Amino acid sequence: MTASRSRQVGRFAWRVGVLLLGLALAGGAHAEKLTVGVLKLASSGPVFLAQDLGYFREAGLEVEFKFFEAAQPVAVATVSGDLDVGVTGVTAGFYNLAGKGALKIIAAQAREEPGYRLVAVVASRKADEAGLKRLEDLPGHAAAVTQVGSTFHYSLGLLAERHGFDIGKVRVVPMQSVPNVVSAVKGSQVEAAILPATAATPLVNAGEARLLAWADETPWQVAVVFTSPKMIGTRRDALERFVAAYRRGTEAFREAFLAKAPDGRLVPGPQADRDLAIIARYTGQSAESVRGSIPYVDPQARLLVGDIHRQVRWYQGQKLVDPGVDPRGVLDLSFVPGHLDVPN
Amino acid sequence: MPEGQALQPERRPVAFRGGGFLPRTSRAVGAIGFAVVLLAWQGALAAGWISPVFLPSPVEVALALRDLAASGELWRHLSISLYRIVLGWSFGTAAGLGVGSAMALFSLARSLGMPMISALFPIPKIALLPLLILWLGIGETSKVATIGLGVFFPTAIATYSGIDNVSRTLIRMAQSFGIPFGAIVCKVALPGALPSILSGMRISASIALLLVVSAEMIGAESGIGAFVLSAGNLMQTDQLVAGVAVLSVLGLLVGAALSAAEKALLSWR
Amino acid sequence: MKLAVDVRRHAYDDLLVLSDVSFTVADGEVVCIVGPSGCGKSTLLGIVGGLVRPTDGTVATEGALRPGTLNPVTFVFQDFALLPWRSVRDNVGFPLEHHRLSSADREARVSDALARTGLADFAGALPKQLSGGMRQRVGIARALAVEPALLLLDEPLSALDAQTRELLMDDFGRLWMGAGITALYVTHNLDEALRLADRIVVLSRRPGRIKDIVSVGIDRPDRTAVAAAPRLAVLRERLWSLIRDEAASADREMARA
Repeated sequence: MTASRSRQVGRFAWRVGVLLLGLALAGGAHAEKLTVGVLKLASSGPVFLAQDLGYFREAGLEVEFKFFEAAQPVAVATVSGDLDVGVTGVTAGFYNLAGKGALKIIAAQAREEPGYRLVAVVASRKADEAGLKRLEDLPGHAAAVTQVGSTFHYSLGLLAERHGFDIGKVRVVPMQSVPNVVSAVKGSQVEAAILPATAATPLVNAGEARLLAWADETPWQVAVVFTSPKMIGTRRDALERFVAAYRRGTEAFREAFLAKAPDGRLVPGPQADRDLAIIARYTGQSAESVRGSIPYVDPQARLLVGDIHRQVRWYQGQKLVDPGVDPRGVLDLSFVPGHLDVPN
Repeated sequence: MPEGQALQPERRPVAFRGGGFLPRTSRAVGAIGFAVVLLAWQGALAAGWISPVFLPSPVEVALALRDLAASGELWRHLSISLYRIVLGWSFGTAAGLGVGSAMALFSLARSLGMPMISALFPIPKIALLPLLILWLGIGETSKVATIGLGVFFPTAIATYSGIDNVSRTLIRMAQSFGIPFGAIVCKVALPGALPSILSGMRISASIALLLVVSAEMIGAESGIGAFVLSAGNLMQTDQLVAGVAVLSVLGLLVGAALSAAEKALLSWR
Repeated sequence: MKLAVDVRRHAYDDLLVLSDVSFTVADGEVVCIVGPSGCGKSTLLGIVGGLVRPTDGTVATEGALRPGTLNPVTFVFQDFALLPWRSVRDNVGFPLEHHRLSSADREARVSDALARTGLADFAGALPKQLSGGMRQRVGIARALAVEPALLLLDEPLSALDAQTRELLMDDFGRLWMGAGITALYVTHNLDEALRLADRIVVLSRRPGRIKDIVSVGIDRPDRTAVAAAPRLAVLRERLWSLIRDEAASADREMARA
């Protein structure tokens, strides 16, 4: 605590220094600095576009990215004040932190939407040969996830509700990382697994696993933009400008990647190649693999508020989120107008 | 020299300058220190110096522990972890004793074993997890193997150097009485290496406790390590600290058991 | 038991340690080997006891063994070589464990050896609880328990203080000298050799060769008498003159090494 406080003091002093320097150089006009935590995934595309196309700069912001390997540390770093804004998937751990009043969700990022394939349920070869052909056959079998209480776990829960099987009868096996899950499927150590499309597709194509289902049937809010209540209290103006510029990013993202022809096929926008190259550069992936993992992002960054409520309740039902957490308390709906599916 | 005459004018007492270098441990001081830390911890949270988001209070941790114990969850996690630790440690120790003895006794084993151990010991076992999953599955085998692997190396090294340091005279003595090779190993070399083997066990038991958390990263639904990991993933910090406390109590108990074993087995030193 | 030693050559790699060391020991005779440090005395004893393989040479014994002899050629070590985790009784019983003996016979041998060496009251003690002299008595009791025909004593008293040495030399006379046990006794202490030996083999510095073999020629019990002192002094002077130059140059050689 004292360390983070001294860090905050240090950052404050530094900010003052930057401010003074900015004043000296530009004679008054200065860019306000925001530190943003993101993962190097295609789903972070809108923030990368907003940065690269200059939307943040035009909003008077100097955004610095900090890259993370997993969602959890982004949330923790935002609570500790090392990050001003985080943009990642929401997990049970996130809700437990947010439930203590440490985090607020302010805008939407990626979500599951029918026709946009983000997450797959696969059966291992051995299980497939033994007759695991449909989702409904899952009860009584072991399904690997990265972590208990992860987005993959919730995906499986939604599928269970929709297909009417009891998730309590599926042995959910945490493997801690995607490569470990892939290993377990390859060796037929588990009968099934929930994996991101980028990891599932090569497995299925190589014949090492069989696709049981895409988890895109029920729309749900996979990833969000969040900040700390303290930021909202002290730097609301900067956050509002950040969200506005971010929404220009989501709009550009939609134009490039999400438009559909009447027959349901995706139609790339005029700037698709340029934007793909930008995202590829930020994520360090090839343009091809980025194209294969483009998720649906609401063009106006509106949240599926009802789903956030449902997530919290579902996790609480699984005893993964503390019963005292109120979904309304983790949301701040004032930054984006017209949120979707808002419960009364 | 006439007594006291020449000495008197410049008489100087010789100042004491020995002593020290004999630190003693006091259980009472240790306990008081522990209590002070707990009180300061609770106090800092009560005074609002530390946000409960960052650290759960000792009372919260104690309550979490009580709930865990009352629901039987604690015992469920603990028993499966103990099973893995005991099994992994036993296999690792048996293999380490065998290989370490062979390296101390036979040129071929020594020539092969030394470079292999040097090459393999420093590999972090966690880095091998995906491979272990592929080879051994996600059942008990890979978890026991992870612990066993971690225990094997320090035991082999301790056994090897222990036997290697057994006085040559004792070996010569046994040979001079025509004692057969096997009996010399069992009655002279291994008992002589026991101090080194036991201090190796102190290290390997700690490693087994450390590795149970790693081992339970692989598809474990229960176990104290899996419990700590999942509490971390879920940001349930009170549960996390409770699990860690259980692990450290386990460490204390193992340490005490080994001290008792040393006292009983090495009284001859 | 008679002993014939004929070591033509013994070398570690290129370092010649012993050269042309040939002598015999008669049945029941006590022969001391003296010589400067590093002359290969202990190596020679190792060769005689079958613990060191000579580069070129043979060692042979001759003579009938008593029926109770379990380990005809038996060592007594300088640093006692006791198993520190075993009690006095179990140390003495250690060499008996791999022999087919009735447990009564085994216990009788141990108790007898302990009684003769005055250790009966210390049977349950651990070596660390004993003085150096008592520890060496355990080493001797262990050697006696197997009823040896040839004792090989490797500087058995050099780790002890002068008074303890005196006491143990008395014990030696009482325990095995004159009991028909042949002995080869390595020491660097001339007085010890003059007190115990029938003959004294003097070795040169490395490579060890026999410089001379000196017969003491005084009855052992008489040697502590005042009357024997002048003759012993002459013998001592003769031994010392054989060794002095060797010892001095060996000392310088060690210092340079």
